[in-house]
Amino acid sequence: MATLDRILDRLPLPGFLKPAVTGAHYGVIGDFDTPEDLLRAIRTARTAGYTKLEAYTPFPIHGIDEALGEGRSPLGKIVIVCGLTGLTLAVLLQWWTGAVDYPLVIAGKPLFAFEPSVPIMFELSVLLSAFGAVLGMLALNKLPQYYHPAFNFTKWAGATNDRFLLAIEATDPKFDAAEAVAFLDAAGSRHSELVEA
Amino acid sequence: MAHTHHDHAHKADNYFLPAGTWTSGRNAFAFVALAGWLGVAAGFLTDRKEFFPAYLVAFLFFLSIGIGATFYVMVQHLTGSAWSVTVRRLMESLMRSMPVFVVLFIPLAFGIHELYHWSHAEAAKDPILSQKLSYLNDKWFLIRNFGVLLILSFFATRLWSHTRKQDESGSLQHTFAAEKWSAPGVIVLFLGGSVLAFDLIMSLDPHWFSTMFGVIFLTGGALAFMATLIIACLGLRRSGYLTHTINEEHYHDLGKWLFALTVFWAYTSFSQYMLIWYGNLPEEILWFEHRLEGSWLWVSVLLVAGHFVVPFFALMPRAMKRKRGVLAFFAGWLLLMHFVDLYWQVMPVFHPHGFAFSWINLAAMAAVGGSMGLVFWSGFREKPLIPVGDPRLSKALAFHNV
Repeated sequence: MATLDRILDRLPLPGFLKPAVTGAHYGVIGDFDTPEDLLRAIRTARTAGYTKLEAYTPFPIHGIDEALGEGRSPLGKIVIVCGLTGLTLAVLLQWWTGAVDYPLVIAGKPLFAFEPSVPIMFELSVLLSAFGAVLGMLALNKLPQYYHPAFNFTKWAGATNDRFLLAIEATDPKFDAAEAVAFLDAAGSRHSELVEA
Repeated sequence: MAHTHHDHAHKADNYFLPAGTWTSGRNAFAFVALAGWLGVAAGFLTDRKEFFPAYLVAFLFFLSIGIGATFYVMVQHLTGSAWSVTVRRLMESLMRSMPVFVVLFIPLAFGIHELYHWSHAEAAKDPILSQKLSYLNDKWFLIRNFGVLLILSFFATRLWSHTRKQDESGSLQHTFAAEKWSAPGVIVLFLGGSVLAFDLIMSLDPHWFSTMFGVIFLTGGALAFMATLIIACLGLRRSGYLTHTINEEHYHDLGKWLFALTVFWAYTSFSQYMLIWYGNLPEEILWFEHRLEGSWLWVSVLLVAGHFVVPFFALMPRAMKRKRGVLAFFAGWLLLMHFVDLYWQVMPVFHPHGFAFSWINLAAMAAVGGSMGLVFWSGFREKPLIPVGDPRLSKALAFHNV
């Protein structure tokens, strides 16, 4: 098994890549009782100057993106670029095959016309938009990802049940392990610890 | 959104219009209606040829908004929708105007011979029309259209009475009753709406036929209704009502509907056009041929650009749907385009060589619109602007888009 792990570590397969973490530690994670406590802690941490924050919760919480200072996802822009590419490809495909490469008059119709091309233009726009949306979502979320250092937190299981976790990542310029543990404890965390990468 | 959830609980809107505001609103609608009916009377006496088509377009325009409203109210009940509860009373008030159209249909009943040439004696000699006369004849035309309008009015009245009773009792029983009426209601609405579209618009050119026609009419109506609803919400907001109750999140959703219906209108209209283009059969293609003739060509181009391309790209970004000014502009614009759409369907039959706008069109719009507006407004006299008794109201107030 150890050999297999070592081989997999070297393979550039997306799902087996470990997230880029500098140093030996992922960061400090604190464990909160309620979504409100978590939101309050996030706001305090941001006021204190922490910028690399991540929250782990069992369900989506309204307002957490704004609290963490997350901007809008660029997914919409990816989708429109893919959609317009599909539209262009559909026009080129039908014009080139019908009017250039193999011109053939069928039922007296023009070799290329806008009217019958629209369904294909619509379908290819939708198809490439859907590819862009699904694959873009996976890429932006860095998925598939089978290992994440946050799993090393001793109370990790709570994040899938009834606990609300807040991580201050080691990449934060203001990061200091002892300070971060003290900070999260003061912000209302039941248990805070330094987590290995 | 946890913090705004608490904000909403503290900021309460006034759900009742003061008597003075209500009266001035009523007077405005009454003035428009009165001026319109005077114009309609003048039009009827001076230019009967122009009057009936103009009145038909105005009738169809507002009727389609009423049908769109009825459809949306039913869909909110069938899906158990919570987000829309804050805007539902405005939908229901538009829906409530349905019985008015039974009365407003009467002038059209006297215009059958001016409008529909299948009612002329020559139709019996036409090899195609003579086959259709068992459907297209005065008696059945009146029975069908009055019948459909009465049935739709009946459903609208049932739904209105339940929501009104719920204001007082707050009982869930009225929600269940509304759901029960809505299920058969949607079926009846689609069948009935198709009958109206076939009889009132498609039979203007009785040789022509399109199975898509009913769907296009209903889609246009749903779009015009959504635009009217947005304008009604924003109008009340401007005067300081429902400023917290209908928030950015609700406007975002109404904007999504406006966008989606623009797309669906294009989808149905284009489906009809493409199949006829591809089939290339003389009796089908003639209808479009008439609409590409003379200045009608430019009206057709305006419809493609103004009813679809421009609003499609303009309403696509999230930020545009959340800007109230942008939303108000496109709601108004799409209402205008819905009028152009119906005008483009009806008028080439009477002005085959080109577009010719008449003042009677404006008078008819004011008359029908003012009358519908009066009924819409009458529901707010000493009565709330939102369904205060709906058990889902608190959920709607806290609604948040992801």
